[in-house]
Amino acid sequence: MDVISNQLFAGLSMASILLMIALGLAIIYGAMGVINLAHGEFVMLGAYTTWALQTYAGIGILLALPIVFIVVAAVGWIIEKVVVQNLYHRPLDTILATWGIGIILQQAVRLGIGAESRFVKGPELLSGNTQIGPLIMSNYRIFLIFFSVAVLYGTWLLMTRTEFGMKLRAIIQNRGISECYGIEAKRIYSLTFAYGAGLAGIAGALITPLFSTIPTMGTGLVVDAFLVVIVGGLGSLIGAASAAVLIGEATALFSIVINDTLGRIAVLAGIIVLIRFRPRGLFPTETRR
Amino acid sequence: MTSKFHYDLIALVIFAIVIAFGVPALMNYDGFELNTFARYLALAIASMALALSWGTAGLLNLGQAATFGMGSYAMAMHLKLRASDGLPDFMGWNNVSELPLIWVPFESLAFTLLAGLLIPAFIGGLTAVFMFRARIAGVFVAIITLAFLVAFQLLVINQQGMTGGQNGLTGLAQLSLPGWTVDPYSTGFYYLVAGCLTVALAIGVYLTHSKFGLILRAIREDADRTRFFGYNVATYQTAIFCLSAALAGWAGMLYTMVLEFASPTYMGVSFSLAIVIWCAVGGRESVIAAALGAIIVNMLEGRLSDVFVEGWHLMLGVIFVLVVMFMPRGIYGVITETAKRLHHPKRRHRKTDLQSSSTKQLETGQES
Repeated sequence: MDVISNQLFAGLSMASILLMIALGLAIIYGAMGVINLAHGEFVMLGAYTTWALQTYAGIGILLALPIVFIVVAAVGWIIEKVVVQNLYHRPLDTILATWGIGIILQQAVRLGIGAESRFVKGPELLSGNTQIGPLIMSNYRIFLIFFSVAVLYGTWLLMTRTEFGMKLRAIIQNRGISECYGIEAKRIYSLTFAYGAGLAGIAGALITPLFSTIPTMGTGLVVDAFLVVIVGGLGSLIGAASAAVLIGEATALFSIVINDTLGRIAVLAGIIVLIRFRPRGLFPTETRR
Repeated sequence: MTSKFHYDLIALVIFAIVIAFGVPALMNYDGFELNTFARYLALAIASMALALSWGTAGLLNLGQAATFGMGSYAMAMHLKLRASDGLPDFMGWNNVSELPLIWVPFESLAFTLLAGLLIPAFIGGLTAVFMFRARIAGVFVAIITLAFLVAFQLLVINQQGMTGGQNGLTGLAQLSLPGWTVDPYSTGFYYLVAGCLTVALAIGVYLTHSKFGLILRAIREDADRTRFFGYNVATYQTAIFCLSAALAGWAGMLYTMVLEFASPTYMGVSFSLAIVIWCAVGGRESVIAAALGAIIVNMLEGRLSDVFVEGWHLMLGVIFVLVVMFMPRGIYGVITETAKRLHHPKRRHRKTDLQSSSTKQLETGQES
């Protein structure tokens, strides 16, 4: 029983990380149909920005979050303006172009900062564990779970309660008509891409105490995050959240029964089967294309 | 057959002559240089195999490296058994006391050669049936094949006693065909790889210009319409997927012989996307262009990494992004466009006018 409850917590913790990475991806994919394989590199940039802020300016992770968000969002904005904007009518080519951008970002970091692993200290405030019966939970991981829920809620508010969100939803439904009403689709797309990149940056900042910060850290994450988005359904925030929990918990529980790697393989196989039978995801949004 | 078929045949013959006579002469029949070039040629087969499924049928297979890896491991298993008497050394380190059942048939050369082609084809066929019966298309094909690739690589690394895990299979023997021990640094081996590539390209050129290829192109343009004409779309897609997988397995077998080891990095996401990059740079519509793309990018990689030890990967990324943005049809696209302009210099003006008004429609049609 102890093992199971501890694994459930580990799964939830993994789900919260997956959710934060996948959220940005879900918005970019859902809104623009762009498959952003450079997303993992945005996470990596966020992690390195946090490291730089902590080492050179002495700013802790939590205080660094807004700065990281702005920095990575700016990088995303530039990339959207220069490359992605020209490829909206060629969705499959965005996979290739963003993969190329990923290589560039990764190598730029490797050349500029170095390939060795960097260490970032977790916040003092959240060190230590909380114990409930046999269940031992790290405070930082609890914080991550709550924070990811907050980010999800914030994004939902942004999408449904602001003018920007309304414009974005209008463009998703029908770009041509929205433009007739005076919505600048190009500008909204740029901002959306920047926001998605910024979220990835925040995710990168928050996982620095848990993962080793190396230039290649993003490549593995982007595949996982992508599966979350696809399983959740195009552009659905609730879908992304439940898919993250599902995949996180499934991985954690499978690894009790079999070992870690085989657990991951089983989850991947499950995802493949799920996509086959529900290609539009668990929570498909009703949009007119 | 169309006049385009003649152009492709001429291109194939020129290509074959260049790699058969030009390249070895240029390299002074130097064993090391020829081995390096043979590596490019083996990768060119993987790239042209992707061009068949991606360029012709519009199925972007991001899991090409998985089938490539299967072929490469099949060959490596055979060569490993030849190199060790009894149990391969790494199995001893992993407390495997008996030769696993899967390894036993790889004692035979004929079985290995068949397995290197048929196992990838079978696995490729299974995933294809699984996907295409449900009419999965576009991005979802890419995602499913990518997930399959990640799972497969994890499995291979996990089964350390069986596959050598992260280290792969090293310390391989040289392949001994009846009457010929294949030395990867010999001119003979270079001709073996070059011959394989030429045969693979001939198959590819024939297929793309046959009726089969025509139907595949029709499926790429509009799967539903092809279905309404009475063609079984899933069967055609499965067939090309199997064939592409078999060719990738073939490439993998040659690649193991060139490098004399097999590693799980051959099944990595990066390697798989690298194949896609070569194919895109060369031009996905033509198998010859895709093969050329693989050779050019890999040669560039070799030269750049000599000159700029640190920065070559960065340059490769930049080149690739530029190619995707400004040469969506690759080198092949540039060549055909220029050829068209040379043929009809007067029509140029009208054509550009037409293009600017309908670019969007044309390009969406091409990609979906």
